[in-house]
Amino acid sequence: MEDRLDMPQGTLDLLILKSLSLGAMHGWAISERIRSASSAALQVPQGSLYPALHRLERRGWIRAEWGASENNRRAKFYELTRAGRKQLARETAEWEKLTTAVGLVLRMV
Amino acid sequence: MMLADLRYRLRALFRRDAMERELTDELGFHLELEIGKHMRAGLSRAEAERRARIEFGGVEQIREDARAARGVARLDALLQDVRYGWRSLTSRPGFAAAVVLTLGLGIGANVAMFGVLDRLLLRPPAFLSAPDAVHRVYWSFVWDGGVRTERIFEYRRYLDLKQSVTSFDALAAFTDATVAIGRGADSRQMTVAAVSASFFDFFDAPATVGRYFTEQEDAMPAGQNVAVLAHGFWQSAYGGRSTVLGEELYAGEVRYAIIGVAPQGFVGMPVDEAPAAFVPITTYAHAGSPDFAQDYSWSWLEILARRRSGVSVEQASADLSVAFARSWEAQREQASSQPPAAEVRVAGELSPVHFARGPDAGPEGRIALWVMGVALIVLLIAAANVINLMLARALHRRREIALRLALGVSRGRLLQQLMMETLLLALLGGVAGVAAAHWGGGVLRALFLRADDVAGVATDGRTLVFAGILTLATALLTGFAPALQALRVDVAGTLKGARDGGYRSSRVRSTLLLLQAALSVVLLVGAGLFVRSLLNVRSHDLGYDVDPVVIVEANARGVELNRDQRNALADRMLEAALAVPGVRSASLLTSAPFLGSEGRGAPVVAGRDSLNLLGRYVLQAGSPSYFQTVGTDIVRGRAFTTADGAGSMPVVVISEGMAHAVWPGVDPIGAQMRLGNDTTAWTVIGVAENIDAREIGGDPEFWYYMPIEQHKAVFNAAARPVLFARVQGQGSDYVAALRERVQRELPGDAYVRVTPFREIIARQQRSWRVGATMFVSFAGLALILAGIGLYSVIAYAVAQRTREIGVRIALGARMTSVMLMIVSQGVLFALSGIIIGGTVALFAGRWIEPLLFSASPADPLVYGSVAGLLLVIAIAATVRPALRASRVDPTVALRAD
Repeated sequence: MEDRLDMPQGTLDLLILKSLSLGAMHGWAISERIRSASSAALQVPQGSLYPALHRLERRGWIRAEWGASENNRRAKFYELTRAGRKQLARETAEWEKLTTAVGLVLRMV
Repeated sequence: MMLADLRYRLRALFRRDAMERELTDELGFHLELEIGKHMRAGLSRAEAERRARIEFGGVEQIREDARAARGVARLDALLQDVRYGWRSLTSRPGFAAAVVLTLGLGIGANVAMFGVLDRLLLRPPAFLSAPDAVHRVYWSFVWDGGVRTERIFEYRRYLDLKQSVTSFDALAAFTDATVAIGRGADSRQMTVAAVSASFFDFFDAPATVGRYFTEQEDAMPAGQNVAVLAHGFWQSAYGGRSTVLGEELYAGEVRYAIIGVAPQGFVGMPVDEAPAAFVPITTYAHAGSPDFAQDYSWSWLEILARRRSGVSVEQASADLSVAFARSWEAQREQASSQPPAAEVRVAGELSPVHFARGPDAGPEGRIALWVMGVALIVLLIAAANVINLMLARALHRRREIALRLALGVSRGRLLQQLMMETLLLALLGGVAGVAAAHWGGGVLRALFLRADDVAGVATDGRTLVFAGILTLATALLTGFAPALQALRVDVAGTLKGARDGGYRSSRVRSTLLLLQAALSVVLLVGAGLFVRSLLNVRSHDLGYDVDPVVIVEANARGVELNRDQRNALADRMLEAALAVPGVRSASLLTSAPFLGSEGRGAPVVAGRDSLNLLGRYVLQAGSPSYFQTVGTDIVRGRAFTTADGAGSMPVVVISEGMAHAVWPGVDPIGAQMRLGNDTTAWTVIGVAENIDAREIGGDPEFWYYMPIEQHKAVFNAAARPVLFARVQGQGSDYVAALRERVQRELPGDAYVRVTPFREIIARQQRSWRVGATMFVSFAGLALILAGIGLYSVIAYAVAQRTREIGVRIALGARMTSVMLMIVSQGVLFALSGIIIGGTVALFAGRWIEPLLFSASPADPLVYGSVAGLLLVIAIAATVRPALRASRVDPTVALRAD
């Protein structure tokens, strides 16, 4: 936990969209997925997760539906919409461009 | 996507509760799973819960962020604030009522005054099209050593202007007259507007029924007998029948055929009383005098002009000046004694349509502006009271606010919430104010605007907009400082229960108190000055008696009488009036103060010329009892008597001013004068005191009096059916008896009107009465508000200082010294207010001076009484809290902590 990284600005949306690209899941599962996929390096600030989900839902990139969880409890499941998929592709491409560029600059010196 | 966004936001707004519940469930579920995870890692349930909550952070904060993310946070918060504010108000109804009432009084005073001011100075007459291009026409010339500005013209002059101006696309002539409408016992005195056909082109007010009259019907030498009814009169007298066209309207001496009805609210150019009908000006004038358009001797109409588009006011005025100069020269051809136009600098002047903004406006407009200022000050004082109340409340709410701040509610959000509370209060106050102005404002409108038949303010858009703006401004003014004060809390300290011992906002409150006291002093001084001025104008010696004198006039319409018959009628009326019990004496007359006078120009006196430039001369012909009847004193020589009849030597009594002007330094008794081209020599037998007949306290006119029998004989004139009667007691008590008795002597449809002289003079004193009434009532309001403010602040301070007072008493302070300490605080405020307010009033007094009647703006009596009054109020407001302080029981007070 001590190696935890601060989540760069704007990346939370991208990570949420990426997580959901594998299928519908609820809020806690999303945060767990991000944590485990990043080998616990990325900790989702839980205070920002739900506002982010609401924001994405408002933009029409994800939609929410109530369903039953693994242990049969009522939970709100989020999934990507078609617009969400496009947005994910766009943001992933941008992210890669950005990291490549930043990497180039850093290696230059 | 836009659509989805909108749908989402709408759902967020209207299904807010459902979404909040869902969020709660969702967050709960998340926490549950997180706890489960920690427990699986081996933590105890309690430890797992603690960890999960710390990681999760403030639930309230998340909820608020989520709400913000939904995109309706602002609106949502607003609705929430309204609900919260309302709850908070209803939980303390006493406080809310006090604030609403205080603001209601302040806002109401302003709304009512705005309604008056708007009509006097701002709003153009109803239906007037292109009001900015429409002007009232004035002209000015140098006369009698000064510039005279007039707006009353001759019909001849109107025709001259119409012929020569080029900068205007329309000119209209208009006047109004009070005439008897109807016949017999049903007839009533009503106002009729006599207007040129072009008058209607100035308005965009299509006739409701029928049509207006045309140029052909308003033609020289006499117009057609057609009339257009005003909407109100059509409703009241004809029941709003549309079959009214062609029916007869008997007004004055003319029987008109009704050809149309004007739309509701159309009054033409507003005058004292909304007109009952509109008639062609040439018809009206011809009935009064068939040769009305021949010469320049009869000024009776006003002119309205509309500039052509693209012509500036300056260009149009220059054009008008040229036209007036040309007309002046035309007049000179008729009366060669008149100096040339260039010499007297004849000039035309274009004013706004509002009479109160013209060069010869009465003081109503200026007084209304002052009173509006006064009303704003009353609102300031009311606002200061409310700020004080809110500050006290803010102190009480410190704990609540600290708690909410600790729970993570942002200060901005809290500020918004507190402001919403004030806004709700102000809105309620605004509603109360509009209601007060609607019901109470009738008094104001009656004082200032006799004319308008308009409904109250609550149905008037412009006034409501003003009320709205004022309410918002009041909310900002009263809410901001207390809200900021409320947010300046020490969260930790307050929550720990520390009593904030310091009375932190006391400096703000003291400043407000001082402001209130000073403003009250300014208003009270104004009120005092206006009252002083009203008393002066009332006690001013007019040169005749007012209360016991009535004027009886007959309107001999519908009957053609020759000279002898008219003389006989006048004599019969005189006898009839004298037959009424209580009538002491009566006299016929040809001129009456403030009503109308017979001008015969300057007398011709051997060895003197240009007498016409010395002043305005008025001829009065009266019965032998004239001076005794009106109460004008003879200061030298004698009055005329019954012995001065038609056959004896013609005699005249002149006014003092005329004696000094025409025979300076010489005893005028025995001197002779002639009138116009007549060769009769009138011998001066007496000098009478000056009278005020055109303006109270103005330069007196030169009146000369002759026996009516000699006047009739020399000028071959008929007596007018008008007389003065002097009664025992008040003239107003004799109106009915006189009317009934004199009416019996009148032939045909003739109609008698009886007016106590007090009524006529009261009309002249109106502006001073209005000023005094308004200043006194608003200053009284201000004083009450300031007194309440002082009381609440001192009472609060005493409550805060209970401990300190207890200590003093325990240490042996006497009751009286404790009371003195509290009362002296109030007195100190009052004294500071008197000094500051008095200084301001001394400076402001210079501007108010022109509105006063021979009262000095620095009247020491006024300042002295105001100071005394304020001190009394200050002591009265502090006595109760002081008594309470003196009864503090030290044992209880010291144990309280």
